[in-house]
Amino acid sequence: MQNPRAAQPSRPVDPPFSPVLLAGIALAPVPPRLLQPLFDAILSVVRRRHPGILERLADYPDSVVGIDPVDLPFVLVLEPHPQMPTLTVHRDFSDVAATAFIRGPLEMLFALSEGRIDGDAAFFSRQLVIEGDTEVVLALRNAIDGAGINLEDDFAATLGPLARPLRHFASVGGRLFNLLSRDMDMVRRSLIGTALRGTDAQSSRISELETELASIRRTLRNREHRA
Amino acid sequence: MTAENVELVCPAGTPAALKAAVDAGADCVYVGFRDETNARNFPGLNFSRPELADGIAYAHERGTKVLVAINTFPRAGKPEIWHQAVDDAARLKADAVIVADVGLCAYAAKTHPDLRLHLSVQASASSPEAIRFYHQAFNIQRAVLPRVLTVPEIAALAADVPVEMEVFVFGGLGVMAEGRCALSSYATGLSPNMNGVCSPASHVRYVERGEKVVSELGGFTINTFGAGEPAGYPTLCKGRFEANGKLSYLFEEPTSLNTLAMLPELIKAGVTGFKIEGRQRGRAYVGAVVKAFRQAVDAIRRGEAPPDIDLDNITEGGRQTAGAYERSWR
Amino acid sequence: MNASVLPPAKLTLGPVLFNWKPEAWRDFMFRIADEAPVDTVHLGEVVCSKRAPFFDKYIPEVAERLAAGGKEVVLSTLALVMTERERDGVRDLTADSGGFMVEANDIAAAAALNGRPHVVGPFVNVYNEGTLAYLAGMGAVRVSMPAELPAATIAILAAQNLVEIEVQAFGRIPLAISARCYHARSRNLHKDGCQYVCAEDPDGMPVDTMDGKPFLTVNGTQTMSYHYLALLAELAELRRVGVNRFRLWPHHCDMVAVARSFREVLDGTLSPDAASTRLADLAPDAEFANGYIHGREGHRLVEDDLAIL
Repeated sequence: MQNPRAAQPSRPVDPPFSPVLLAGIALAPVPPRLLQPLFDAILSVVRRRHPGILERLADYPDSVVGIDPVDLPFVLVLEPHPQMPTLTVHRDFSDVAATAFIRGPLEMLFALSEGRIDGDAAFFSRQLVIEGDTEVVLALRNAIDGAGINLEDDFAATLGPLARPLRHFASVGGRLFNLLSRDMDMVRRSLIGTALRGTDAQSSRISELETELASIRRTLRNREHRA
Repeated sequence: MTAENVELVCPAGTPAALKAAVDAGADCVYVGFRDETNARNFPGLNFSRPELADGIAYAHERGTKVLVAINTFPRAGKPEIWHQAVDDAARLKADAVIVADVGLCAYAAKTHPDLRLHLSVQASASSPEAIRFYHQAFNIQRAVLPRVLTVPEIAALAADVPVEMEVFVFGGLGVMAEGRCALSSYATGLSPNMNGVCSPASHVRYVERGEKVVSELGGFTINTFGAGEPAGYPTLCKGRFEANGKLSYLFEEPTSLNTLAMLPELIKAGVTGFKIEGRQRGRAYVGAVVKAFRQAVDAIRRGEAPPDIDLDNITEGGRQTAGAYERSWR
Repeated sequence: MNASVLPPAKLTLGPVLFNWKPEAWRDFMFRIADEAPVDTVHLGEVVCSKRAPFFDKYIPEVAERLAAGGKEVVLSTLALVMTERERDGVRDLTADSGGFMVEANDIAAAAALNGRPHVVGPFVNVYNEGTLAYLAGMGAVRVSMPAELPAATIAILAAQNLVEIEVQAFGRIPLAISARCYHARSRNLHKDGCQYVCAEDPDGMPVDTMDGKPFLTVNGTQTMSYHYLALLAELAELRRVGVNRFRLWPHHCDMVAVARSFREVLDGTLSPDAASTRLADLAPDAEFANGYIHGREGHRLVEDDLAIL
């Protein structure tokens, strides 16, 4: 059984150049604690409407999962302790001893929670990054996927009479979001493309060194055996 | 053999996936209890007894059958855990249990003679003699064939034994004879047979080295991925290794089984159950794959060729193979 | 350990799993017959039916020489049976084994031997009392344990007192069997048209991880551990819980000396540490492991004493 390590994620994932990123930039000066009530509400919705999620995480009572929506200027820390679960907002993970991390664009995190995209595909394509205790992350992903969440329904159930106009706004907002995303992606690609080329040279040199090292190791071992 | 009695047997790792599979047109769904009695004992996956009761109700209302996989090998000293699973599946009116262990087959046949018994792929019954043994001893009604037989071998089998045949048609491809592989326990101490896991997440690490990511299992490097390359889960037999002076995917490429184009052939060979692998996959995957195969089977029933459906974006490594069904795989 | 209080411990030489030259195999067996302190020797092709025809012609004289040397001969069946020819081979052997006991390495062979005394090999999944009892009811008199079983499980099975329990104690551990030939694949060939490249590696072809760590071994369609099993310090505790037979897998080294080392440890005339040193000399390229019996990863070398509760 792997020992959880209280570690920092080693490198930030590049956030997609999207409306969320812009909104995030706008949110940057806001202290995270002002957002805490929102996440308290989300957690209480989860406990009420999807109790199965926390039940499935009951095997990992001491785990601390860091969730990093890379295009927003704050992070979430989930402690799924069955009796006292918490979901807290922080500026970053510097004061947090998390045992596992999930990082990805907000839209992707939403889509994952609703089962609209396949978690494995997202992970394979490296848009979603997980680190640390893979087991608890897998449990979290299975628990959320298994709960059959529909965010709009959840909002509706919580917000009562505001539900209809909000749901309408969410669907209009969603379409608008998709339109904006497409245009922004084109702008992003032209901006970032030039910067990426610089890093390629360095990483290919590292590959060369590693291949050399492995071959030296092998030669040494063969010599030892013959001696 | 016609397409009329072909059943689409679909994986359901969670209640949401069960609904997705049923809604997408599955004829059967197969599930496991949330413990070590099944071979997909993943963290946070599978059904509690109450969840299974709800799932069976949902499925039966829509004319879909539910099969419960109890296909690990009971641990000496604790047979009651597996016996209880069989008892609960019977009590909840599951349509069949899928079992691998000889002793557990004996228990199920003796204690619940009316409970339909399917032989799991984990029993590695690769010949008519093997399947006939389980049929005569325990009255199994269906056998899930190991993914090591060619289509002609399957046809010969189906003609030879009075038991329905079920074969995998899509999903993760096992390269070793199922139920007879200890690679995972060699590296991690946990195995499919004993613990219901292979290459368990608890022993997986992804380590960044410069621009590359290295995937490790139990401390052994399984693969590396460059910047922008899709990363894979370090399933042991899908790794890259050095042998005979060369680095390669020695056992198998990270690829998925996809027999969409071969379905008519499999039907002609006498196969009754088309099994989709993937209880550990999310409901988006399940919904998409079941929908595609439903369309394919319905097309075949109408006398048309199966449509060419693109499942690239949800297959492992984006690649697909027809696996052992073609002899050249050996 | 007072060796005289326990029933005598027996040693089995398992079937040669590798593709040795047939004459070399025959001569190896002659020496075993004449010199090795083993009680039982297994013959027969377990891994790949393509190899069997080359050895079959030597089996009668080898069996005779072994019997003359006081060894019990057991004929082992193929582990993974798929083709018509393979099925016929197993059927013929189980129908007429020339008076020798047969080891069933799959459930179909065990079924064919129903009612007659036979051995159940380590490639059949016997993990619990229920299955053990069922197979004993079919006539199994000896069951060789799957490699991954921990001592606690083995002790429970031995305590059933239904059959003789055998535990693997030396050699590369068979971990998996497949329809696909990885030896051929490593040379860009297939099982059909393999050119018998597995014959190039008398102890199997080593498989390393990408960073040069030895990990596994390929032997045709079989995958094995890189590490050699070596249970020495564990033997006494296993005997205490009722295991009195141990299997040595033959390797391309002085197996007579290996067998002698195990014999002396079992007789109490050689310490496990001293035997360990001898084995290291006899198989100088080998790395040893004993993780499975201790309930750990198979590749681990556990220094703790084995203590079965």
